[in-house]
Amino acid sequence: MNADLNDWGGRLGALADFEPPAENWQAVLAARAARESQSVRRWPVVLAAATLAVTVALAAWLQSAQRELAAGTARPATALAVAAGARAESERLERLLARLPERRAMRGSTAFTVAELEDRLALLDDRLSRVSLEPNAPERAERLWRERVDVLHSLVQVRYADAVGIY
Amino acid sequence: MPRISEIKLPDALVAAARAGDSAALEAVHAATAGALYTLLRRLVRRPAIAEELLQETFVDVLEHIGAYEGRCPLPAWIRALAVNRALMYLRSPWHRGLEWLDKDPGGPDRLPAAVFESHAPLDAGLERALMTLPALSRAVVWLHDVEGFTHAEIGIALGRTPSFSKSQLARAHRRLRELLAGDAPLAEVTP
Repeated sequence: MNADLNDWGGRLGALADFEPPAENWQAVLAARAARESQSVRRWPVVLAAATLAVTVALAAWLQSAQRELAAGTARPATALAVAAGARAESERLERLLARLPERRAMRGSTAFTVAELEDRLALLDDRLSRVSLEPNAPERAERLWRERVDVLHSLVQVRYADAVGIY
Repeated sequence: MPRISEIKLPDALVAAARAGDSAALEAVHAATAGALYTLLRRLVRRPAIAEELLQETFVDVLEHIGAYEGRCPLPAWIRALAVNRALMYLRSPWHRGLEWLDKDPGGPDRLPAAVFESHAPLDAGLERALMTLPALSRAVVWLHDVEGFTHAEIGIALGRTPSFSKSQLARAHRRLRELLAGDAPLAEVTP
């Protein structure tokens, strides 16, 4: 620290003081009372706003998921008859499933149904991985993919109903 | 008027204030409000804002006195609350908007004359020069040169590094010297 800085400190420190506002303590007490009453009034408002925001977001999301699901079920059955089409549908439903919220605590019956459907999917995936070795591979693959799509539809419906439960 | 760091409060008063005694808290306010107000006026310039910050600081004191552990003198703890409030204000978009309104590009500062008023004619040039510094530079100068903050403490308070504080201080001193070198016309500049 040099002499110049010390000089600044001395010169600035010698500047005239300002007079504080009169009745400041009363203003402090009034401001504190106002802050407390604001805080008491604010909590229900904050909670209501947060609940509303979550509700609106979830409702919008569920609506879009429902539309997506409805669009899928409205497709002509002939489109699913082609293995490639069924594969695409399968991917779409998996994307939809990934967007559904996971519940940490699920009802026992729902959890059982979900587990059963996921087991069936695993079994179908296992069969699909070996289907190319079978003599009637194209027809077998088409049937397996259609079955997979059906299971995925069931799974989405169960998980969707569960998500509505959250809502 | 003594600086806040020079204010000594009796131990019994501090103990009563810590316990939330309203008369003690009022006495602490009476002892420190003047020095705090001067500090806030140096940092934020505008009297109305400084008054509001002073008020908010003491509301903070009332609400958080239980958190004061006595590791530093009570006036220093209150000063930290005030500085924090002032720096939050200086960093706020609201303040940046006001700063922009206060300046004509390349022109003189349009703050009201009351902001520059000083009781001693010899101080007028320095007062005015100080008030024409950018807000953060002025804060660094005042906190370092007058309040005795270290560069590390200023860096923490501003959310910057100690080097930032050092460079701001060096630039501010240079600017003050330049402004004071043309001292004669300073008193005549239209505020």
